[in-house]
Amino acid sequence: MTVPAPLSLIAEVTHRCPLHCVYCSNPLEMQARECELPTEAWTKVFNSAAELGVLQLHLTGGEPLARPDLTALVTAGRKAELYVNLITSGIGLSEERLAGLVGVGLDHIQLSFQDAQEDAANEIAGARAHARKLALAREIKKHRLALTVNLVVHRQNLSRLEEMIAMAEELAADRLEIAHVQYYGWALRNRDALLPTRAQWERSLEVITAARERLKGSMRVDFVGPDYYARYPKACMGGWGQSVVLIDPAGRALPCHAAAVIPGLRFDNVQQRGLRWIWEQSSAFQKFRGEDWMPEPCKSCDRRTLDFGGCRCQAMLLAGDAAATDPVCTLSPMHGIVEAAVESVNGNARADWVYRIDPPSA
Amino acid sequence: MSRISAASHPKLRPGCRLSESAQQGEILLIPEGILRLVGPGRKIVERCDGQRTVDDIVRELTTEFPAVEPGRIETEVTTFLDRLHQKGVIDLE
Repeated sequence: MTVPAPLSLIAEVTHRCPLHCVYCSNPLEMQARECELPTEAWTKVFNSAAELGVLQLHLTGGEPLARPDLTALVTAGRKAELYVNLITSGIGLSEERLAGLVGVGLDHIQLSFQDAQEDAANEIAGARAHARKLALAREIKKHRLALTVNLVVHRQNLSRLEEMIAMAEELAADRLEIAHVQYYGWALRNRDALLPTRAQWERSLEVITAARERLKGSMRVDFVGPDYYARYPKACMGGWGQSVVLIDPAGRALPCHAAAVIPGLRFDNVQQRGLRWIWEQSSAFQKFRGEDWMPEPCKSCDRRTLDFGGCRCQAMLLAGDAAATDPVCTLSPMHGIVEAAVESVNGNARADWVYRIDPPSA
Repeated sequence: MSRISAASHPKLRPGCRLSESAQQGEILLIPEGILRLVGPGRKIVERCDGQRTVDDIVRELTTEFPAVEPGRIETEVTTFLDRLHQKGVIDLE
């Protein structure tokens, strides 16, 4: 089987973060500061990625601004001829530092907001961050740097969706990403407090469809739905090992953010093996590439080339088997698990949540 | 939403640029995505500098491709730019 070249490199340059969002997509087991790759190692990774065909570098974390060498990392990414995107909470980005990043050629910033209302936003983040984010968005626009406003939506803030979209418009974002929480890591732990009700989900779809139509030409609106309410699973990462490679703070290469939850996979480290070898030949990237691993009903399903059987990590987390059909699929024999979660949320009041903690220091 | 006309000055928005790498083919890099360019796509995008009008771009491509009927070039350029505008990739100044 020929292996396609990856298009995107997600570089989790640190797991440290000043926020404690209750839906963080980082693994529950995080990498400590002492394990983080140094500047030179990341530079090598960016060069190997570009050679492999990668076009876009997404610097993320944790909070990438926690790295004092972030400007050097952006420089290295641009030198490797990659499109450099910074995915950030904005906390730790002074005016000087922003000007420095723009100066070395940063292409785009994705700035996350937790809500349109300050108190609610700060409660989700477990930090007083909202006012700073608003000020920062305005500074970003002053530099004419492309800005995506990222809104993570869930049961606690969906009733303010119009307000949140208006906030993005007021900030003159070039792109708006509205993403329903996906249930991995900290979000899965807090699912009962985050999963929207069916009525909320349906209403959010109407609001977003209308906003998309109205904002055509001024602000691109991308949307990620809550797959628990979908009929078929999402085409997670565009398929396992098809277009995305993620490097964690310590240099381990993974096919996605959550893959470490799958037991028995060995994730090679870019400090020991070349990125090309890892991408093309390592066992972890081969494991669910293509269709050979598929069980029924996926194997004979017409949609297998559209959604690739859904998400392997979700299959692991919900069905206890990474090679099972994603249980969110209505055709999955395990779909009852998802139906039960949805049912309980539609009949229940709010549950308490657990804040994401910082990685431990050695 | 502004509509495209022959006098519009299309301009690539911040965060949108042509790929420097030839490995994956002709690609327009956009915030958190890519657009694969086919046919004269790259030649059109290269000219979205905010100086040239749609009319200018059509004229230049007509000179470059004398074998193609000018009416067809005009339709193709306008349709393509309109699509890029709807995707938030170009401004029409």
